[in-house]
Amino acid sequence: MSEPIIRVQGLWHVYMPMEQLALKDVNLEIYPGEFIALVGQNGSGKTTLVKHFNGLLKPTRGAVIVNGKDTRNASVSELASTVGYVFQNPDHQIFAETVREEVSFGPKNLGFDSNRIKETTERVLAQVGLSEYIDEMPFTLGRGQRQRLAVASVLSMEPSVLIIDEPTTGLDWGESVRMMELVRTLNEKGHTIIMTTHNMAIVALYAKRVCVLRLGEKILDGPTSCVFKEVEKLKTAFVSPPQLFRLSDLMQAHEFDDCTVDGVTRYFLRLLKGE
Amino acid sequence: MKEVYNMPVIEVRELSFTYRNGKAPAVSDISFSVDRGEFVGIIGPTGAGKTTLCRCLTGVVPHIYSGKLSGEVTVNGLDVKVASIAELAQSVGFVQQDAESQLLMTDIEKEVVFPLENLGIPRGEMRRRLEYVLELVRLTPYRKRHPFYLSGGQKQRVVLASALAMNPDVLILDEATSELDPVGAEEVLSVVAEINRQGKTVILIEHNMEELAQYADRIIVLDRGRLVADAPSRDVLSDIALLSGLQIYPPQVTQVAINLARAGIQIDRIPITIEEARSTFEEVAGRGLRG
Repeated sequence: MSEPIIRVQGLWHVYMPMEQLALKDVNLEIYPGEFIALVGQNGSGKTTLVKHFNGLLKPTRGAVIVNGKDTRNASVSELASTVGYVFQNPDHQIFAETVREEVSFGPKNLGFDSNRIKETTERVLAQVGLSEYIDEMPFTLGRGQRQRLAVASVLSMEPSVLIIDEPTTGLDWGESVRMMELVRTLNEKGHTIIMTTHNMAIVALYAKRVCVLRLGEKILDGPTSCVFKEVEKLKTAFVSPPQLFRLSDLMQAHEFDDCTVDGVTRYFLRLLKGE
Repeated sequence: MKEVYNMPVIEVRELSFTYRNGKAPAVSDISFSVDRGEFVGIIGPTGAGKTTLCRCLTGVVPHIYSGKLSGEVTVNGLDVKVASIAELAQSVGFVQQDAESQLLMTDIEKEVVFPLENLGIPRGEMRRRLEYVLELVRLTPYRKRHPFYLSGGQKQRVVLASALAMNPDVLILDEATSELDPVGAEEVLSVVAEINRQGKTVILIEHNMEELAQYADRIIVLDRGRLVADAPSRDVLSDIALLSGLQIYPPQVTQVAINLARAGIQIDRIPITIEEARSTFEEVAGRGLRG
């Protein structure tokens, strides 16, 4: 396998001045092209962890290596060309008068020339399905559209890693699926995706790997379908896997090999009809 | 078993409302009534009119958001067009999505008594209500704490406590748990379920069908401003065609049961919660093992 794009080594983080321990000896390697979900209760350390990936926070102890660079020796702007961070609430991120300005702000700051800024802006807006709104005011867009605009304004800096914090909060199911299909497409085009979320249905459908944090410690890390089978351990982190994984845990006499709606349906059909 | 009195506390008749400057009605021709003690869920995609409907029930429409309102809305005998917001606030409590923006004061006690002071409730009564609601939302030990130092679920319970201190007959929650983690959401909903058992009417706007399945007796479905379904929760949640048309994700166990029923397997009652699913599927599997 190739080199990890993010390597977290024995990472501890203590918030000053209250000396709150937020991360405790976390080790993690993320490889290019992965789609990983970080889950855990509020206060479990998810956001503290991802803020180390773009240098917003520096390790109290241990190290974070991004694209071969130790984040202690790299500035946030240096890391921004590798790691993009999409905030949970798009309204905390959006500030410009027009959609075009919003999206071209990042590339301008990175010193792209004007042709490249125009080309990049139009390309990423097309990617997120907002081309027709290029001259609109961001706040006239719907919540789902503003969320996709936030993604576009990070994408325009062409980072290979995207951190997406709670991509579906405040969105209904239809909008959530639209947002996640966009994220899936970006992943298929080669972007490494790191998402934090409380929505386990979304994790089950989209993330290939899940990492569970509890009180600043990593307690589970592996392929999504394996991690979600650890119902008891997840409970200690206050994470409730999708309904059919919990059903599988309740119905110990039955071994569902695939805890999706289709998988469980097939299981019972096989059992009843020998199909 | 909780009691539902056969006595409407909310009556909505042919309600339509268009916001000032709005092009199309946000809700149109909506009629339903809610009995005292019911727990009603309202679902529908974004833009369906859920929030507008709640605003009509609290009097925020038409008193704060003006526009063209037709039809009748009565809550606890008060006509929302005529009654003042202050009057209505004593009948209807309203909890919204963003707890942060609903908190004003520097500690929990002050937050809870603030609206009571405004109404001129006598001191002894105020104290009694304060103790009662703090206990109900399980925040008595934190009473002097600044909201800044509370978790999301605790903040939302403070908002809930201050709504409940008015002793309203009806409590409306507009996606009140959507920004909380699962633990916070459960903390809030378990309190809501408790006050419903005590006889309060609850209206819950919610995206999570698993939660509705657990709590709501009945679900009203809105789409593009219109009421498209109003039925017991089980009927609505097992209407996969209706829900998928609105891009609403039904509980997974319900989807499995419907798939099995379609494949010709007899299922007497479509499960909507995980506990129901367990007993249904165990019974179904038992048939397979015997045969």
